[in-house]
Amino acid sequence: MFRAFASLLLAAAVVLGQPVRAYANDLVVALTADVLGLDPADLNDNISQSATRLMFDGLYRLDHDMKLVPDLATSYEANEDATEFTFHLRKGVMFQDGTPFNAQAVKFSFDRAGNPANHLKRQSLFSMVAHTDVVDDYTVRVVLKYPFGAFVNDIAHPGAQIVSPKSVQQYGKDVARHPAGTGRYELVSWSADTLVMKKNPNYWAGAPKIDTITYRAIPEDGSRMAMLMAGEAQFIYPVPPQLVPTIAHDPRIVVFDKPSIFAVYVALNNMRKPFTDVRVRQALNYAVDKQAFIKVVYNGYADPMDSPEPALMDFYKKQGNYSYDPEKAKQLLAEAGYPSGFDDTLTGVNSTLPVRGMEFIQQQLGAVGIRLKVEELEAGVLTAKEFNVQKPSDATITMLYGGWSSSTGDADWALRPLLATSAFPPVLSNLAWYSNPIADKGIQDGLATTDPAKRAAAYATVQAQVWKDAPWIFLAVPHNLAAYAKGLTGAYVRPDAQFDLDPDATLN
Amino acid sequence: MLDYLARRLVGTIPVLLAVSAFSFLFVHLLPGDPARLVAGPDATPADVEAVRQAMGLDKPLIVQYLHYLYDLAHLNLGRSIKTQQTVAELIGQRFMPTFWLTVVSMAWSLVVGVALGVLSGVKRGRWQDQGSMVLAISGLSFPNFWLGLLLIDLFSVRLGWLPTGGYSGWRSLIMPSFTLGVAVAAVMARFTRSAFVEVTAEDYVRTARAKGLREHVVVWKHTLRNALIPVITLAGLQFGFLLGGAIVVETVFAWPGLGRLLVDSVSYRDYPVIQAEILLFSFEFVMINLVVDLLYAVVNPEIRLR
Repeated sequence: MFRAFASLLLAAAVVLGQPVRAYANDLVVALTADVLGLDPADLNDNISQSATRLMFDGLYRLDHDMKLVPDLATSYEANEDATEFTFHLRKGVMFQDGTPFNAQAVKFSFDRAGNPANHLKRQSLFSMVAHTDVVDDYTVRVVLKYPFGAFVNDIAHPGAQIVSPKSVQQYGKDVARHPAGTGRYELVSWSADTLVMKKNPNYWAGAPKIDTITYRAIPEDGSRMAMLMAGEAQFIYPVPPQLVPTIAHDPRIVVFDKPSIFAVYVALNNMRKPFTDVRVRQALNYAVDKQAFIKVVYNGYADPMDSPEPALMDFYKKQGNYSYDPEKAKQLLAEAGYPSGFDDTLTGVNSTLPVRGMEFIQQQLGAVGIRLKVEELEAGVLTAKEFNVQKPSDATITMLYGGWSSSTGDADWALRPLLATSAFPPVLSNLAWYSNPIADKGIQDGLATTDPAKRAAAYATVQAQVWKDAPWIFLAVPHNLAAYAKGLTGAYVRPDAQFDLDPDATLN
Repeated sequence: MLDYLARRLVGTIPVLLAVSAFSFLFVHLLPGDPARLVAGPDATPADVEAVRQAMGLDKPLIVQYLHYLYDLAHLNLGRSIKTQQTVAELIGQRFMPTFWLTVVSMAWSLVVGVALGVLSGVKRGRWQDQGSMVLAISGLSFPNFWLGLLLIDLFSVRLGWLPTGGYSGWRSLIMPSFTLGVAVAAVMARFTRSAFVEVTAEDYVRTARAKGLREHVVVWKHTLRNALIPVITLAGLQFGFLLGGAIVVETVFAWPGLGRLLVDSVSYRDYPVIQAEILLFSFEFVMINLVVDLLYAVVNPEIRLR
């Protein structure tokens, strides 16, 4: 009796006296927001996809340098004009609910995700698919309606991950809360702001070393940092640039600092005066000191844009830069008929970094005589303003501070939605209303083949043309900043801003 | 009494109906296209249309409202646009964290606030009064996100005594409820003091003193009882506000409460969740008002409920 009481006291003392610390092989990751769902085909936010990345596999996936690597497929063949893709599948793989993985499962997943009647958010990944055919148990052929050279990148997107057909039949719409993939981790529990996963002992490439992974939603930057310092979390993302110095010298913490694929720029309305004149657009590019911009907005953790697409994207080609030259800017403005500048409005979203960026641009352009009003809008209001247009003359935004991250890692999705004539809002996000026949042709040629050399040539033309035409003020590609405990290896933030983990990641 | 209660409860129905109509109109009048927001920045028009149909937003507004009322009558609050969970489940997950945070914060801040207020009122103009009021003003002026971060730095990072945040047992309640309660205690102290001082000037208090009652009887029985009426009103209001969620404290302490849910839902235009939360908050206020009215009668038997 006494001993029982004593051990109870002891237990209480241990519980009360100890800070909460995770066990050695349990990884806690602090991110900004809740996981919204676990149905890969119905997601578009980075945090939920960071979870499905660990629970599901695609036929292909993008590794931590955005390079295409085989996943549930072992290889593929495509015809020259990019309309037929045949995938050879990995054998002996099981879904977490015991269903075998095979060609039927791939067909089921693709048909389901692409069927408009299912109202899934990623159906556009399959909009070019005519039909998916089972050739044999481990071979599947996808036939497209029109050439789409970036198709393998397209299905490497988490939205094209393969789900267990049984789980969809069993749970219907609730499958978003009952995931069954082939991935390294499987769901244990999911409450309001905490998602717990445990390792899949049957994972086809061998069971991972870290036993459990917990995602916590910690919206406040300072609180995330505190969790890492108190040992409650072993990986936190993001770390705001201005807070990096406070942890840079902590011997227990490693700062993660790698380039992203997020391009930040100001889209100028190319159909509105004065931005119809290429000299004005170039003048604005010369008028902004990108290095100073990076220091002011990102505390130095960014690189200047030197092409319309970021360096880690496929078929990227460096274009040089618009070096800071206010005199040249003034001269170009004068040539274009604006010797004393003009008045305009710069619009953007009302969060910290964009506001800081817009104020910086306002100051820089002020120095060459352009008087800007900064308009900060709530995200929903801004989106409505951007997309409630039917034709170019409806557009009310003349200068838009914004950015883009291409989730497929391919040049097509980095250029076409932003710069093709066919991508004018509301169809896609060509918010600069940029239209150039050479760029349009290059974008089309890039999709018309699977030959990498031909695609590279096509996208090189596009990048050169866009760079010369300067439909945007090219600004910067910020870094992804995170931090983790020293004993952790193999955990990282992907260039597309999603958390990911190598299968052999360890935690000591 | 029972008759009174029944009448008050029936009276909530038209109030809630009005609120449901108002909140429905309010969320649908918010600028911004929810389908576009939900579909994401790189959605095609087909994606957006798919989302719009899945959300039922392609139907006329009046049809949507009738649908909503029909579901409401069947106690069905719908599904969250954002997570596909039922709204009842979503709010259920967040209600208890907010409830506990509210109860603990209110409990300590009421005791401390009223005690400081009475002390100030009794010792008006003396150092106890000045000290209490300095404390109260400081408590009101200190930004609570800053206080929260300071506490985390001291008790979690440096001392390692308490978890930095999250909803995980009573130890995780200490810092958030302290942070949240400070401002409430301060308001209660200021309010109690002024109510107390006001009542002290009343004729019946002077009469009580004049007829030779002892000071503690005058203070506790004659003055405080009467001074408590406005204090209870204020406490009820504060309780209602806190039950609506405390966005800043919930954010700093990663507390999965209703406040953050509301803010997230508004920025996502998650109509069903916003509507349900507004309805819930209105219901809570109606109930709290009822309890406050009942408490009046308890504190001052002269008040009759009819």
